[in-house]
Amino acid sequence: PGQGGFKKVCRTEEDSPCPFPGLAPGVLEMRVKEGSKIRNLMGFAMARMQGDVAGAGGDSGGGSLRQVIFSGSGRAVTKTITCTEIMKRKVGCLHQLTKLRYKGVREVWESQEGGASEMTVHRTIPSISILLSKDPLDPQEPGYQPPETISALWEEREGADVPQTASKRPLSLSPHSSFPDSKRVCLGLEDGA
Amino acid sequence: MTEPRSPISTSVPPTPPGIIMPPADVSGMTVEMDPVEYTLRKRLPRKLPKRRNDVYVNMKTDFRAQLSRCQKLLEGGGHREICVHGLGLAINRAINIALQLQASSQGALQLAANTSTVELVDDLEPEDPDEAREPMTRTRNNSAIHIKVFYPDPQ
Repeated sequence: PGQGGFKKVCRTEEDSPCPFPGLAPGVLEMRVKEGSKIRNLMGFAMARMQGDVAGAGGDSGGGSLRQVIFSGSGRAVTKTITCTEIMKRKVGCLHQLTKLRYKGVREVWESQEGGASEMTVHRTIPSISILLSKDPLDPQEPGYQPPETISALWEEREGADVPQTASKRPLSLSPHSSFPDSKRVCLGLEDGA
Repeated sequence: MTEPRSPISTSVPPTPPGIIMPPADVSGMTVEMDPVEYTLRKRLPRKLPKRRNDVYVNMKTDFRAQLSRCQKLLEGGGHREICVHGLGLAINRAINIALQLQASSQGALQLAANTSTVELVDDLEPEDPDEAREPMTRTRNNSAIHIKVFYPDPQ
């Protein structure tokens, strides 16, 4: 789609500090792009998060990762959330921390009629970063979501104004990862199927 | 909200969710379900909880109107926190509104975002009214975001 005869030739995101300070080094960061195929992203991420057979309750993390970050900006935000939701459903018992912020992006546009003119556009777009962790995270941190619960923000709370969204729900400690026994009914249909 | 509620009754006959599309027809035999003969009607998502400080962001209303509604709730409405919800394509707009609110509050407002999956139902209506079979439905998932925008309690 040409914008007045201009075509986008490149897009560079400005570097920003990691929104999750104090993480263990070597956490896998999945950078979701607008054109990324969910199948490819999930195939890669799931292989690393499910490195060994689930069910070993002990400390035998045989090569599998404990944490993964999904991040995306602009038109990739929805896809980023979809990836985390799929992973939560498949792996189960993951603690989540969601962070929102603006990201600076530089776009270079080139004229299509005798590409002599070029212009650089600087814009600020919303971006999302989601940390999924097998290990517990700080529940006081804004944007924290406990495993396998439907968000307290979504559900009608009995108390009219509960200041803290501390959903006191017994966490299912079953080590299976097929069907979480949450209120959600899994109908065996994958997103995008 | 000025969102019209659809008059469709929610009592759905227990049809199995998901429609198995037949393989592409090559021999010219009559296919049981030809996608050309069906219109897709999207139902509204299931009824949502609505407190006074819940804001459901959509893509139809003007962006600035939705932003100022949130500002009024936080400033004039006396609410210490509001919840901004966005589904599918409206997620971006919900995030944008939350970040705008935070930016214009000079750091007084904080954000806490949660994500979820929302199940949506599509009705497949036969184009030919004589094809009066039981209505077919298809279930699919979409992502949603719920952003709490709040003034942190002074410690």
